[in-house]
Amino acid sequence: MTIHRVIRKVQRFQGWFGSGAALCLGAGLYLGLIGSPADYYQGEVVRIMYIHVPLAHTSLIGYTVLALGSLWYLWKRDPIVDNMCQAVAALSAVFTALALGTGMIWGKPTWDTWWTWDARLTSFTVLLLILVGYLMLRTFVDDPEKEARYGAILAIVGFVDLPIIHFSVEWWRTLHQPQSISMRGVSISSGLLVPLVFMSIGMSLLFSYMLMVRTQLLYLDRLLHAKKGRLLSQFHLSKSDS
Amino acid sequence: MTNFYLRWGGVLIVAIVFIVLTYNHYRDNLASLVPQQVKQEAPTGDVRVLGMVQGGTLETREAGEATFTLLGKNATLPVHYQGPPPDNLRELKILILIGTWNAATQVFEARDIGIVPNYGFIAGAYLLGLLPLALFLFAMARRVNFLYEEIKASKLYEED
Amino acid sequence: MTSFNVIRWIVWKDFVTELRSRETISSMVFFALIVILIFSFSFSMDQQAAREVIAGIMWVAFAFTGIIGLGKSFSSELQNDCLEALQMVPEAKGAIYLGKVAANFAFMFLVEILLFPMFVILFNLEVVEGISILLLIFFLATLGLSAIGTLFSALTVQIRAREVMLPILLLPLVVPVMIAAVEATKGALNGDPLAMYEQWLKLLAVYDVVFTVVSFWMFEFVMDS
Repeated sequence: MTIHRVIRKVQRFQGWFGSGAALCLGAGLYLGLIGSPADYYQGEVVRIMYIHVPLAHTSLIGYTVLALGSLWYLWKRDPIVDNMCQAVAALSAVFTALALGTGMIWGKPTWDTWWTWDARLTSFTVLLLILVGYLMLRTFVDDPEKEARYGAILAIVGFVDLPIIHFSVEWWRTLHQPQSISMRGVSISSGLLVPLVFMSIGMSLLFSYMLMVRTQLLYLDRLLHAKKGRLLSQFHLSKSDS
Repeated sequence: MTNFYLRWGGVLIVAIVFIVLTYNHYRDNLASLVPQQVKQEAPTGDVRVLGMVQGGTLETREAGEATFTLLGKNATLPVHYQGPPPDNLRELKILILIGTWNAATQVFEARDIGIVPNYGFIAGAYLLGLLPLALFLFAMARRVNFLYEEIKASKLYEED
Repeated sequence: MTSFNVIRWIVWKDFVTELRSRETISSMVFFALIVILIFSFSFSMDQQAAREVIAGIMWVAFAFTGIIGLGKSFSSELQNDCLEALQMVPEAKGAIYLGKVAANFAFMFLVEILLFPMFVILFNLEVVEGISILLLIFFLATLGLSAIGTLFSALTVQIRAREVMLPILLLPLVVPVMIAAVEATKGALNGDPLAMYEQWLKLLAVYDVVFTVVSFWMFEFVMDS
């Protein structure tokens, strides 16, 4: 049994991504929690930003990767690309859910409410729904080739839809709640920027590392499945021969 | 597999060390007494007291000087505040007072007011953000290891 | 057979099937009536409250009935392996898509036209001067729903639990259509000047164009066998 060359490459290089993520996140956590001053307006709570914003950014990058991978799959029909797509969808869903969760925790002390129908929160919720729908769709298709194809179609349509959803929700918000809470006016001072950059790079590296591990997992699962199926059919054939 | 657990054990130890260090860093800001403790223990030196300004007791004499009663769980504490003009000294507001306990007059001499720190939210956000990711990654990495071993073991059936 | 003929034949086929069985449209209309009834029980409806929520109720009812129609659009092709026959059409698969979109759009629009007088009577709406703009809103929003809904109807038809998966996949994606349709309908029913809700009509038009093109393109891959 041979392992796909891409997976062998991933196996060789994933350690660098993992340790890079650990270093960046370690530095980011140190700077964010201990090394940086509290914000003048928000006080200590601003430290939640260092975990919330990187999670949100990374999940958006993940969804972009999912859409590009899906296009690639529809073009080349390479099963390993499909394994990558499935992996990146699950990870994006987890990152989106955590971004929403940390956002809610941030909202409680700053705006005194766990949830507000803010444009960004709402579009992230829709994003999460699309990703969960993608993962559900994949579990409901029997044929692996069809599963990959249908998933890719949904991912691409969702990717095109996402900016439109965001715009429509934003217009809708400004219509109903002009005093909508916005962070746009607040400029981020350099003291806050350094830990944010470290955490963002660290999160992206962590995402890449997790993506590599999960792609491997799905690939090996498929490999073992195919292997077992082949053994089983061989076994049955030999039975029927004798 | 031993290597795998060793690596994750290392990650766990580093994480615990980091949590302990961070906790130590913030401990001074976290620790505070309640009015009942102040009355019973009569601490000397600077202390931090957590309580709510009782309604109807706040009297502001001039900017930077006020008297009020601090309400704890089952005790109250008369407070005389003198310091920088406070922004958030209002009735029914939960505050942290920094000052000394005057055992002779039974009055707490406060010289600074801090708002109640919400480190709980920060800790919650970081735990919610990082813990599931770590657990997820651990589960995936372990499964990958298992799969590699299973594939190696299934070599027995390998056709030539 | 040219692609245009494929479109025509599919529309014709769907209409004939519908005329003979009368399954889809009648079930859509009755379902919508039940939805309206349930909604009027769940909100205590005085005149003022009705004004606020009626646009939302209308579009929730239309979207749900639309999903019933969309689900039937391809699941009826499962009988006698009609789907395989469609896949064997030598012309571009996009022609099948356009034919199905046209048929679904026609059914949904028809149901909306049938239901709208009910809303007017039951909730005492004044629609005389806004009727043309309301029809435009219905047209654009229904086109958006059927453009993306037809794609997902074809996509979910061959999977397990398709009745559940169609709304689960479709509803998050049509969030812009729902928001725009509700806001524009609200404006038109209130008699606001067009400039106040023009942006929603533009959004609907953009959505229609984008998703007709994207779905047309993606349909090739759904039908790929």
